[in-house]
Amino acid sequence: MSAQTKFPQSENRPLVVLGIESSCDETAAAIVRRDALGNGEILSNEVRSQDAAHAPYGGVVPEIAARAHVEHLDRIVARALMNASLGLDGVDAISATAGPGLIGGIIAGLMTAKGLALVTGKPFVAVNHLEGHALTARLTDGIAFPYLLLLVSGGHTQLLIVENVGQYTRLGTTLDDALGEAFDKTAKLLGLGYPGGPAVEREAASGDRNAISLPRPLMGQDDCNFSFSGLKTAVLHAVNRTHRDDPDLRADICAAFQEAAADCLRDRTGRAMTRFEARHNDLETPVLVVAGGVAANTRLREVLNNLCQARGYRLCCPPHALCTDNAAMIAWAAAERLAGGAADNLDVMPRARWPLDPDAEAVPGAGVKA
Amino acid sequence: MRVLAFDTAMPACSVAVVECGGAGAEILAHRFEPRARGHAEVLMDQIAETMSDAGVGYSDLDRLAVTTGPGTFTGVRIGVAAARGMALGTGLPLVGVTTLEALAAAGAGLTGGSVAAAIDARRGEVYVQCFSNDLTPLSEPCVVTPADAADVLRGHTPLIVGTGARIMRDVCGEAAGFTFDAAAPELSDACHVACRGAVKPSDGPPPSPFYLRAPDAKLPQRKDG
Repeated sequence: MSAQTKFPQSENRPLVVLGIESSCDETAAAIVRRDALGNGEILSNEVRSQDAAHAPYGGVVPEIAARAHVEHLDRIVARALMNASLGLDGVDAISATAGPGLIGGIIAGLMTAKGLALVTGKPFVAVNHLEGHALTARLTDGIAFPYLLLLVSGGHTQLLIVENVGQYTRLGTTLDDALGEAFDKTAKLLGLGYPGGPAVEREAASGDRNAISLPRPLMGQDDCNFSFSGLKTAVLHAVNRTHRDDPDLRADICAAFQEAAADCLRDRTGRAMTRFEARHNDLETPVLVVAGGVAANTRLREVLNNLCQARGYRLCCPPHALCTDNAAMIAWAAAERLAGGAADNLDVMPRARWPLDPDAEAVPGAGVKA
Repeated sequence: MRVLAFDTAMPACSVAVVECGGAGAEILAHRFEPRARGHAEVLMDQIAETMSDAGVGYSDLDRLAVTTGPGTFTGVRIGVAAARGMALGTGLPLVGVTTLEALAAAGAGLTGGSVAAAIDARRGEVYVQCFSNDLTPLSEPCVVTPADAADVLRGHTPLIVGTGARIMRDVCGEAAGFTFDAAAPELSDACHVACRGAVKPSDGPPPSPFYLRAPDAKLPQRKDG
């Protein structure tokens, strides 16, 4: 981690921050304002998806993603400024995702931001992409620390306690695939195309979730970890046993898969709640924040909502556009760090891996991406 | 014309501020550091230090220039992404120069004849392009085996420069009419990027990486064909 520089910032000044995100297959730039009270406002939020470029491959191809980011980043940043009706002189700081994720894309966004920061002399913040997801609920809903976070995306499946800016306790993570990845692989097995999440959810709507029996990996175990590769393999066997071109069977498989995933999330998150309460027993209404692209799934949301009601939690799901990869969350995380007086030097290293909780116990097989 | 140029496309990181005029070029400040990795970390400090050595600010510059490749994919992106960010931040024109042209520019002073830039592209291939002594391209840039590169260059009898020169010498020797010079540059350098950048039109779209190789990605085989 590069040296931090002190950013001469007191809590009582509003901050306008430019954020850049390029750690997977979205090229994004946004301008966010954080006022003296800590309230956030999104002034612009530009995202250029590369879905079409990766769709033929059934998943994100890192080199294709990196190439596209370089080609579009400066234009997307210019558009974010224009749509916020701002010039760079109206921006107080520049930030970009420095990891974790696909290193080629991270480098492209990070270098664009560094170049901007160098020539403008503005403070620079290298943001952990996961911290962007973790703090989004404070931007959208003003959630106070501490809160429980379920991060479910194509690259990550983690349960964390968000104690403060830069302070996270990981309760559980996936031992193998992220849940979004499992959705994508299921879609691929069934020939539903990429990205798989929305496709599987669409199919599942007309399927019978009990028609096929699928495993619930790790359910009932004492920890808060996840595992989805066995579920994916079970889907493969189910597909091989049947005819994937039969639309009814396809829908049944999707519904059964989605239900198995929902059961896992409910069980694992329930356990995390118990641990969260043990650490913070003084909260009147504890909050569960669900972030990441998979949080868009209606059935998963419904299951988590029921869990929250049963346990006396408030459920906070930021709007979909702020759950999937975006730069508003990066700019916001940077603003939160700047408000605490922290900025980074321009020698920050791009990082493919960057755990939010570096002290978390190593989990065998986990932590490939974070 | 005052140009800030940098190059991260090869195993080196170099930055130069050059006053490019009719009579020749005056190097105001220059840094060249051989390095296989870590360009993304050191580039900004190198630029800041070179600008400070030159005693100029960004508003004193007329344009920016950067190498577009071919070279390492990551190195090329580091340079081009940083340069495009800087161009957006300063409003300065930005031009791209290929590593092949920058290398040829460095070699042109060592000979009165043509110059070929050859860069080790790994996987048993070289990036190669031939230029006249005044840097008019005599062949298209390409990525080929050394033997095929010899075919591309035959007839031009150039001085061969770049990390690929040694490979070319090993494969075809001097028999093909090529010349080699122990003093010939192996790596591109920002000084030459600045000078070549000064003579290019700057009103086009921003420079894009010049990879010369397609991404390594296989389309999935359809099982049900």
